[in-house]
Amino acid sequence: MAAASPTVFLLMVNGQVESAQFPEYDDLYCKYCFVYGQDWAPTAGLEEGISQITSKSQDVRQALVWNFPIDVTFKSTNPYGWPQIVLSVYGPDVFGNDVVRGYGAVHVPFSPGRHKRTIPMFVPESTSKLQKFTSWFTGRRPEYTDPKVVAQGEGREGNHPEAEIPKAAWVCLCPNQPG
Amino acid sequence: MLFVPSRQTVPTYKKLPENVQPRFLEDEGLYIGERLEMAHSHQNIMENRLLTQEPGRRWFGDDGRILAMPNPIKPFPSRPPVLTQEQSIKAELETLYKKAVKYVHSSQHMIGSGDPPGNFQLDIDISGLIFTHHPCFSREHVLAAKLAQLYDQYLARHQRNKAKFLTDKLQALRNAVHTGLNQEKPHQSLDAIKKTIKEYKSEIRQTRKLRDAEQEKDRTLLKTIIKVWKEMKSLREFQRFTNTPLKLVLRKEKVDQKADEDAYEAEIQAEISELLEEHAEEYEWMMEEYRMSYQQWKARKKAQRAKKKKRKPTAEERSDEETEEPCPEEELVKPTPPEPADRAVIEQQVRERAAHSRRRPGEPTLVPELSLAGSLTPNDQCPRVEVLRREDVKRRSVYLKVLFNNKEVSRTVSRQLGADFRVHFGQIFNLQIFNWPESLTLQVYETVGHGSPTLLAEVFLPIPETTIVTGRAPVEEVEFSSNQHVTLDHEGVGSGVPFTFEADGSNQLILMTSGKVSHSVAWAIGENGIPLIPPLSQQNIGFRSALKRADAISSIGTSGLTDMKKLAKWAAESKLDPNDPNNAPLMQLISVATSGESYVPDFFRLEQLQQEFNFVSDEELNRSKRFRLLHLRNQEVPEFRNYKQIPVYDREIMEKVFQDYEKRLQDRNVIETKEHIDTHRAIVAKYLQQVRESVINRFLVAKHHFLLADLVVEEEVPNISSEGSGILGLSLFKLAEQKRPLRPRRKGRKKVTAQNLSDGDIKLLVNIIRAYDIPVRKPTASKFQQPSRSSRTFSEKHAAPLSTNSPTHSADYPLGQVLVRPFVEVSFQRTICHTTTAEGPNPSWNEELELPFRAPNGDYSTASLQSVKDDVFINIFDEVLYDVLEDDRERGSGIHTRIERHWLGCVKIPFSTIYFQARIDGTFKIDIPPVLLGYSKERNMILERGFDSVRSLSEGSYITLFITIEPQLVPGQSVREKMNDMLKKFDSQEDEKLLQATEKFQAECALKFPNRQCLTTVIDISGKTVFITRYLKPLNPPQELLDVYPNNPQATAELVARYVSLIPFLPDSVSFAGICDLWSTSDQFLDLLAGDEEEHAVLLCNYFLSLGKKVWLVMGNAIPEGSTAYVLTWEQTHYLIWNPCSGHFYGQFDTFCPLKSVGCLIGPDNIWLNIQQYDSPLRINFDVTKPKLWKPFFSRSLPYPGLSSVQPEELIYQHTDKAAAAELQDRIEKILKEKIMDWRPRHLTRWNRYCTSTLRHFLPLLERSQGEDVEDDHRAELLKQLGDYRFSGFPLHMPYSEVKPLIDAVYSTGVHNIDVPNVEFALAVYIHPYPKNVLSVWIYVASLIRNR
Repeated sequence: MAAASPTVFLLMVNGQVESAQFPEYDDLYCKYCFVYGQDWAPTAGLEEGISQITSKSQDVRQALVWNFPIDVTFKSTNPYGWPQIVLSVYGPDVFGNDVVRGYGAVHVPFSPGRHKRTIPMFVPESTSKLQKFTSWFTGRRPEYTDPKVVAQGEGREGNHPEAEIPKAAWVCLCPNQPG
Repeated sequence: MLFVPSRQTVPTYKKLPENVQPRFLEDEGLYIGERLEMAHSHQNIMENRLLTQEPGRRWFGDDGRILAMPNPIKPFPSRPPVLTQEQSIKAELETLYKKAVKYVHSSQHMIGSGDPPGNFQLDIDISGLIFTHHPCFSREHVLAAKLAQLYDQYLARHQRNKAKFLTDKLQALRNAVHTGLNQEKPHQSLDAIKKTIKEYKSEIRQTRKLRDAEQEKDRTLLKTIIKVWKEMKSLREFQRFTNTPLKLVLRKEKVDQKADEDAYEAEIQAEISELLEEHAEEYEWMMEEYRMSYQQWKARKKAQRAKKKKRKPTAEERSDEETEEPCPEEELVKPTPPEPADRAVIEQQVRERAAHSRRRPGEPTLVPELSLAGSLTPNDQCPRVEVLRREDVKRRSVYLKVLFNNKEVSRTVSRQLGADFRVHFGQIFNLQIFNWPESLTLQVYETVGHGSPTLLAEVFLPIPETTIVTGRAPVEEVEFSSNQHVTLDHEGVGSGVPFTFEADGSNQLILMTSGKVSHSVAWAIGENGIPLIPPLSQQNIGFRSALKRADAISSIGTSGLTDMKKLAKWAAESKLDPNDPNNAPLMQLISVATSGESYVPDFFRLEQLQQEFNFVSDEELNRSKRFRLLHLRNQEVPEFRNYKQIPVYDREIMEKVFQDYEKRLQDRNVIETKEHIDTHRAIVAKYLQQVRESVINRFLVAKHHFLLADLVVEEEVPNISSEGSGILGLSLFKLAEQKRPLRPRRKGRKKVTAQNLSDGDIKLLVNIIRAYDIPVRKPTASKFQQPSRSSRTFSEKHAAPLSTNSPTHSADYPLGQVLVRPFVEVSFQRTICHTTTAEGPNPSWNEELELPFRAPNGDYSTASLQSVKDDVFINIFDEVLYDVLEDDRERGSGIHTRIERHWLGCVKIPFSTIYFQARIDGTFKIDIPPVLLGYSKERNMILERGFDSVRSLSEGSYITLFITIEPQLVPGQSVREKMNDMLKKFDSQEDEKLLQATEKFQAECALKFPNRQCLTTVIDISGKTVFITRYLKPLNPPQELLDVYPNNPQATAELVARYVSLIPFLPDSVSFAGICDLWSTSDQFLDLLAGDEEEHAVLLCNYFLSLGKKVWLVMGNAIPEGSTAYVLTWEQTHYLIWNPCSGHFYGQFDTFCPLKSVGCLIGPDNIWLNIQQYDSPLRINFDVTKPKLWKPFFSRSLPYPGLSSVQPEELIYQHTDKAAAAELQDRIEKILKEKIMDWRPRHLTRWNRYCTSTLRHFLPLLERSQGEDVEDDHRAELLKQLGDYRFSGFPLHMPYSEVKPLIDAVYSTGVHNIDVPNVEFALAVYIHPYPKNVLSVWIYVASLIRNR
């Protein structure tokens, strides 16, 4: 009996990646994906997505509006490893190369209802000035091997010169979470 | 019919009984409730109706109005209590008194808790502000301020009029003296009178002096005022504009000249007479004194004279005395008598003084009057600088902050500074205070334009006495001054900077900003007329106790408050009054603390609230299956490492989840033989497992340590010289590169770290290019030549007309005849892919096969990938077509053939090799069984064709392959490096100097030849660093092997090599999860019966040493192993390179030698680094004595210190139990047979016993001959015995480690895939035991098809 239908709880997330503030950049698109623990499994909806390219609004706010919908349902047996949404924003640089403009992650809200989250975005920095220049020149900036690492704790020890400088950038996310 | 009551007011008499006057109860003092208010018209209508309908007057009261209840409407809305059924009404009504809890203020100086609660109010009235100096003051303002100040002073003096008061007093005293002198009162003694008169006189003297001083001051003040006014006037004239409305008017008051003169004269006369009197007294007193001193002088003179006479005789004495003499002589000045006072002189003095300090008689009295009536010069008539100044003043505004106990409580509005530098606020602040006021401060802020306010000054207001209440407080002025320095660029004089009025710049003045605030502070009066002042007595108590408390903190520190012992000590020392109610809580605390009821631990607990969170007991928690599962998973116990979706409830967790794990825990010490069959190997496997676990546990931490490169993809540091990564250098050249070069080169792929992969992401790409020298089919023996109708081989059909009965007529095949139709099948992790079929013994496929890769447990971490034990099998098959058409007549209309495939050979490549090498590219020798029935190597044919003589030298078939993993995985190099770093920290028994030398040597090597492997130190199985030459030492091979060919050293060497190769190969990276390369000694290796290239090479090297050969260990790169160890021997004339894992040997110039590069050679006493240009064994010289070609580690500068070996003195070999081997042989045969039947679930599997026994007899022969030169005999034998069968089969040979590799090998041959209905199988196993449990396993598998 128990084996036939193990007890799980469901977490339904729907919402949208609303807009972003990237004062320095334009024509950005974003990707989202979820990072969750071992006891979690997606049951319905899209676990990752890639948005359209958006341009800055022409008003004072200069907002980059995506309104990109998110709809996913997880099942789980354990609150440990609660899903986190990982966002990464990309856009063209001066030479037209697609480079990453920001990474960020936030936990899916723990309580039901309508929530609005603003995520500060950051990118890894080059380890040296020379590399900074060459990466700018070649359009191959330092990137994470996988955007999901921003949601993980491992590898953040301070003994390697990884400088994460938060840029003045935010992405607004509005997850609606019924139940 | 309708009655409409009138709206008229009903007369009172109608409503009352007759002749009764209305009574007004209220007037009589009785209480009547307030009547409900009602419109009069309504009331009248009602009254009329009542009177008409009911003639009785019972509706009316005594006062003639309608009876009415008091107004029932309550002034406040209230909700009646909801009565719940459980509670009785009584309980509801019962009130509960709860003492009000007072909000405890944080301030120390709060009013004591026992004080009656109440609000106290302080009213602060700030009426205005006047600047007595301001940076924006012009010179005129300065003067005006001065004038105003002086005038104020004058006014103040005038008000007090001290001079007049003193004059009056003087007059009174004089009168008193006068009357006193003339008094004739007998009852008063003369002495007393004299005394009083004397006192009077002295007082007169004092008063006169004071009066004179005052009068002089008044006069000088007046003079200064006039002077300043004159200055101001001149300044106004000079600058031609007026800034200030100040105007001084001097009013002259006319005096009666005669009276004035009389009074003046009388005054002078009085003074003169008094002075004379005084002088007379003085004279008398002085005369007295004179007389006294004169007497004394005379007496002394006499005495001196007498002395002089006495002292004459001795010169010495005289000289002594002469020194002493002058002092007394000086003293003996004759006193002069005082002179009597001269009246004229005195009069002169008095008059002079009077003229100086007093108004001259007849002169009019000057009364200055300061008025603000003057008119200011309008802006347009002023010079520019002045206009600027005025504008600056206008821009300035001032406000005050009120600070109560150093906290800002309110502030005034910001008011613009007037041209007269006065600001009017007129604001009253009511401070509702709770704390006893300590300080009351006003801060003066000035704002210039829109700038930020600057603090000009602080004014401290006195806290009013308790008697001062609102309305009675006088307006006071408090002065303030600021020390700020301001210099302005207009007429303003600035502040704190010197300026002058004079043209020559002399007489400089420095004025500071200053001013006055007029205010009044008073206690407010409450509603009932009681001043809202905190009671004085309680203030003091509260204050005092608060101070004490503050002391407690300051004396033992805030942290001490938690330390009860310290607090108690302090209480005892400071003699706190225990009866003081203010100390009660403290004393109670102390008494509790010291009585030991509250135990203060002397340790610090980090999570003191842990108990609160323990929702179940530990035992219960441990019993929980779910918790246990979570715990084990968190510990990364292999069984649970990737356990997904741990159930929510204990009841949903199956017991069997833990079974494996528990069994493993139990079995740790119990040796289980079921899987391993052979006990020795079971022990070894267990031991290996334990070593592996300990190593893994040691490095578990490091596994979670990521390097930057694991997380961030970043371009490498640009480097012009280095190839590949040179972004700046090479990429610039690349721009000029051809888009499609004629000779394209392979480009490096992006590497992927293994951590974020999942199933299906990784593919194994196998590119099969071509093969050489595939065995070709032999024409079947004579028996087969009688063609049965049904089953002629497809090839035979064509060959039949030409073929003869002779089996050796292979040369008769026509050119272009299909000798063999090989295809390649690649199997990996039970996935099988195969190429198309090619033709001929030298086929070319050039096909790419793609095989998916699945990591164990879906764990794609580096460590997991490194420990993948799967092999890639590349099998070469021959596709044989059989015509199975039953009827020849149908041949024209249809083809009915059966495809059979015959295994020809295989190449086995471990996945770990591919993983570490990233790609494998080269030509490999195909492992072809020694006996391949029905096929032969057409050596003669190749010779005939003769296009490659070199190839003929080597026997065997070759296949060219290219294998890689897509995407390219980073082979966990980072982990290895980290491990090596960690391992270096392990202790070593080597000399420190030697270790330093090795590091230097290796660094040099890495610098010059980054691709050449140079090994100086290795890590032994206990984790210690050991110098590599310690591993090389002559060790005796088993005596048995030496006895086989006592006279043939070459054969013995081969046999020894074969023995070594029979020890199973197990890469360290697999056994130790890729963590590190551990070197075990030869005896450990033989005990473990597993090891990788190094162990094999070391053992072979040691055997060769004991055989007396000249031998070196070669560290280098080979295919497919990658970096590996080979053995090099010098055989009189040539060098031989031995592959220790296969037992094969190659000449130095053998093109098919798998060793492709040589990094260094290691001998028992030295290491030589290859410093030649090339590293291919074909192109280098192995003469290590030439220092230009080989750089030795130990040289003249660092001689060989004679390192002792880590190897044992001697290897002891036990004879392997033959019976056990035989038993194992039977069991393996049984297992394999079962497996083959399992693999053929849809078909019947028949075993041909006869054939099996034949094969079984044949296998020992193969072992003896090592698979050479037996084929023909064997074939003949088989033909003789199994003539009726078409036979395909082959013997497999491998070292024995476990059963699984054997099963895999049999599976990979695909023998079981034959689905001909009447197929029979034969399987024989032979195990040849070598000493020390080294087992050589032969498996002969065959399929037989009966020819009908």
